[in-house]
Amino acid sequence: MLDITRNALAVESLTKTFRDGGRGSVKAVDNVAFQVEQGEVVGLLGPNGAGKTTTIKCILGLMRPDSGHVTVFGEDAQTNYPRILSKMSAVLEGSRNLYWRLTVWENILFFSALHGVASPADKRYFDHLLKLFSLEDKRNVEVRKLSQGMKQKTSVVCALARRAPLVFLDEPTLGLDVETSLELRSVLRELSCEEGRTFVVSSHDMAVIQDVCQRVIIMSEGRIVVDDNVSHLMDLFRTRCYRIVLRGPAPEGLEKRLVHEFVGSSVAEGEQGAEIKVNLSEDEDIYRLMDILRGVDGVIDEISHEEIDMEKVYLEVVRKERSFQ
Amino acid sequence: MNLGTVFGAVFRRELTMIRRYMVNSISSLVSVYLVFILMFMGFQSMSNYVKTGALEGSLEGTIVGFFVWTFTIYAFSDLSWSLISEAQAGTLEQLYLAPCGFKWVGACTVISNFIFSLVPIMVLLFAMMATTGKWLNLDFVSLIPLLLITLLGAYGFGFALGGLALVFKRIQAFFQIMQFVFIGFLIVPTRLAWAKFLPLAVGNDLISTVMVDGARLWELPLNDILTATAVGAAYLAIGIVIFSCCENVAKSRGLLGHY
Repeated sequence: MLDITRNALAVESLTKTFRDGGRGSVKAVDNVAFQVEQGEVVGLLGPNGAGKTTTIKCILGLMRPDSGHVTVFGEDAQTNYPRILSKMSAVLEGSRNLYWRLTVWENILFFSALHGVASPADKRYFDHLLKLFSLEDKRNVEVRKLSQGMKQKTSVVCALARRAPLVFLDEPTLGLDVETSLELRSVLRELSCEEGRTFVVSSHDMAVIQDVCQRVIIMSEGRIVVDDNVSHLMDLFRTRCYRIVLRGPAPEGLEKRLVHEFVGSSVAEGEQGAEIKVNLSEDEDIYRLMDILRGVDGVIDEISHEEIDMEKVYLEVVRKERSFQ
Repeated sequence: MNLGTVFGAVFRRELTMIRRYMVNSISSLVSVYLVFILMFMGFQSMSNYVKTGALEGSLEGTIVGFFVWTFTIYAFSDLSWSLISEAQAGTLEQLYLAPCGFKWVGACTVISNFIFSLVPIMVLLFAMMATTGKWLNLDFVSLIPLLLITLLGAYGFGFALGGLALVFKRIQAFFQIMQFVFIGFLIVPTRLAWAKFLPLAVGNDLISTVMVDGARLWELPLNDILTATAVGAAYLAIGIVIFSCCENVAKSRGLLGHY
């Protein structure tokens, strides 16, 4: 049973198939279902063609799903379309969401007015956003004269200026340099804490999801393969990935044995001695590992959890999903 | 949703775009004027010959025909061109996120552009009158309603073509064809019964009566005004239906953001 009072978004059994003139079809979104609570920041992660953008566009009504149901703040999206759009805004393809011949300020005024947001108080809020995104001095500059990063930031500002409680950011950091990406991530974090708006962020950039989102939904081949809290997911992987440093070089045959026993393991020669990286998926694996090391007279100098990041988690999840298929 | 706010935003955007693309706006006007200079002799003979059966004709009729034709081109290409350019720029999907619905944003664009097209087309009209030395009656009280009635059909074509642009994207060749088709609609003699059901035809005759003969709106045959209105409204309705069908196809195939 859905808890419609707390849900900003509820997606049920969403399916979208693209047909190619009778030559074949691709199931872009396959029975996708998830809920997003009010104030939550959720990341949609997946490789190209995973169905992230199609899912977002189906929710926004820009694409017509074959089946499924979308509820936004307790209201059925289809029956209340397009009025329901007053509760949603989106950045869809970064810098391509803007009129390049209009200035930053003119773009903000135009897109916010489409949502009926045009009061003096709203304009003060737009100023606040410009300051937050370090765009105050670009206010009266035509968008075409801005760098890619600034264009991207302007797109995000235009989406936020609509003051919709549910905001979709599809690849907001695509094509940005590291510095601008970090800046954008920091602002998004700040905004999500400050304003309590609900964000759905889709990205290829695992660091963005790890940095900005509380929860991640990993999609592959149009289906949801993981839906979990980012911290929980990281913990899950962190506890299973070990780094072991041996005193002296690696004993002969150790690497072959480890790779055979634990998929994805590696042995490298470090400054102190052999450095082993191993993924332990079962609880008793640690004892098997110790037995192997004792068997080759390996002396353990150091043992630690391998530093895990979202990229490793993501690659592991997608790899498992593909081998399962 | 306050439609006034949306209209204000679209109106300001169009005005700003015209200012930013001023050179382009002026050069397109100059090119239309040059086409008139090159064509008007042959055009007036042809249109008059078809209508009256005599080669001896009125230059005034040619000017009115060109005036209405220019308005028609502006009107019909408005929505379809802006759809193509918005899809190219990537802003189309953002317009579709407007809570009032895209059709209202489109309608606001069309109304704004009609208002903005009045100035350059009137400049063009004065240039044509000055060039030919034929000064026509400009009774705006009669002309504006007649223009709107006449252009309903052109807007219908605009909606239909805009819908096709959503699905098929590259349809620029249609624009060239339609420019000639519209000339056909304007010069076809309305004494032929079937011609009354073509877009523009009756409306153009009524405008011609006002501008050439100096008639006022209330002096025109009511039947003709009603026919022009009904035909225009019918073409507009058909255009909107075609647009809606194409919009559904584009949404089903996920084509809105593509170009």
